Amino acid sequence: MRVVVIGVGTAHGDDGIGAAVAERLAREGVPAHVRVLAVARPVPDVLDALEGAEAAVLVDATQSGRTPGTVWQPDPAAPRPDRVASSHALGVAEALALAQALGRTPRRLALVGIEAERHGGDTPSAAAQHALPEAVAAVRRVLEGWSAAEGEHARA
Amino acid sequence: MAERRTIHVGAIARVEGEGALHITVENGRVEDLRLEIYEPPRFFESFLRGRAAAEVPDLVARICGICPVAYQMSSVHALEAVFGVETHASIRALRRLYYAGEWMESHLLHMTFLAAPDYLGLEDGIEVARRHRPAVERALRLRKLGNRILILLGGRSVNPVGVRIGGFHHIPTRGELEDLGEELRRARGEAESLLRWFASLPVPSRPRPVELVALRHPDEYPMNEGRLVSNRGLDVPVAEFDAAFEEFQVEHSTALHCGVRGRGAYQTGPLARVLLNTDRLSPAAAAARESLADRFEQPDPASSVFARGIEVLQAMDEALAVIDQFEPPPSPAPDVTPRAGEALWATEAPRGVLVVGVETDAAGHVAAIRIVPPTSQNQSQIEADLRELAPQALARGREEARRLCEAAIRDYDPCISCATHFLRLEVEERGEPCASS
Repeated sequence: MRVVVIGVGTAHGDDGIGAAVAERLAREGVPAHVRVLAVARPVPDVLDALEGAEAAVLVDATQSGRTPGTVWQPDPAAPRPDRVASSHALGVAEALALAQALGRTPRRLALVGIEAERHGGDTPSAAAQHALPEAVAAVRRVLEGWSAAEGEHARA
Repeated sequence: MAERRTIHVGAIARVEGEGALHITVENGRVEDLRLEIYEPPRFFESFLRGRAAAEVPDLVARICGICPVAYQMSSVHALEAVFGVETHASIRALRRLYYAGEWMESHLLHMTFLAAPDYLGLEDGIEVARRHRPAVERALRLRKLGNRILILLGGRSVNPVGVRIGGFHHIPTRGELEDLGEELRRARGEAESLLRWFASLPVPSRPRPVELVALRHPDEYPMNEGRLVSNRGLDVPVAEFDAAFEEFQVEHSTALHCGVRGRGAYQTGPLARVLLNTDRLSPAAAAARESLADRFEQPDPASSVFARGIEVLQAMDEALAVIDQFEPPPSPAPDVTPRAGEALWATEAPRGVLVVGVETDAAGHVAAIRIVPPTSQNQSQIEADLRELAPQALARGREEARRLCEAAIRDYDPCISCATHFLRLEVEERGEPCASS
């Protein structure tokens, strides 16, 4: 199974945390079938990264009203916001909807969100940085779960 | 009985940034029309003061996520004019390549995701992708090439950091450029197909007696330099911008309006560029323009989408010309000696003429900077178009009127976030002045 982990975000405060998770994962090492990427923009970068992938984990900063630094797993099937207000705001939800429209949705898809504290600044906030190991662990759990499921699938 | 109808669009969709539209029509006459730009001012002109000139290209790249190159190019050329920097011919060429990448990215995004839903009666770009997958795949592939150019010269595609006064921080290798060239050559047919697809859509026609303003260069399609010209006889060097144009504030917009002195509203952008520089187009772009000749007989803001498609071809040809003739410059940038002075420069952003005026002190710090983005300049013309369109649009019902007005605004691909970085703060002092230490 070709798996891709995509950290999304620019080097701009907590927006950079998704990319930081990807970098940490790559540094610590991942199984050979897993590709780890950091991309700046959901559209078109995530779309490109999804091409040919059978499974994908997207890691991104979130603004959901949770406590800053909370690591959580948004539902990839949750409906996206009603209208895309501007292409400055083509986010992960829109990228996934586009991927679906273009037949690029991977068979398995998971999201890992890290609740952001602030948008500005050169580096992620203390809250986001503190959440980094937990986010990395969350991605690994998803990958292990998929490996186990694929293993059972192969045995069946 | 007086019939009074209003259209109020609280937040205009599929434009860059936050704006609203308010129209009141009474007995078929537009009584009040305001393109309200309420996005908060962003103070770029204020916080750039005191910064070292060398920091400016990175800082202005933050003005816009879609057109950072434009802000970098207008600013860096203005600073080079102040410091008397002679850029090497290869640097000049690479800057055209860099701009071509941004034109591709910006135009393809607008055409496919912001404008196409209007012609197809669909909600958004995602619906377009669902129903017209080959066209969207094509646009995404082409856009990726633009993205690649930005990364090659800017270091990254979002908030690029590769530009410096006199040149770049890093010059790509011949091999990197040749690889890119091969891909561009392979993709040219796709750009032609995409434009043909747009030409097959029911794009409305709204010809208007509009003054078009663009740069014009003695022998190139305008990008980084040229004189300001119009279809009504304007022809001045950029240094005379203030003699020919006036900026003014209106209450309902946090972005300054701009008009030609004595005449008023005008349009800048791809339509103006194509119509005022038809004889500077590459053979393929000229052929595409010829195939759409009926759409360009009179200035028609609604034909802007075709101008964008033609400029995607133009940008690809520009990029290929630069790559094919590439000679590495002796250094990424010459030594620069800062000095006090001032200069005004204009380049062609994807959305039109972008003027930057800069004044430096002897140490090369920014004493003052002024940024006149294309969206600010287009505001008055957008309002004029809507004043014309509103009565007939309202005759088709309120929902349809809203849709038509929004689409007419989108013809200009306004970038409101770019336009709102200005705020003039005037302090009136009364009584005794404060004691200074």
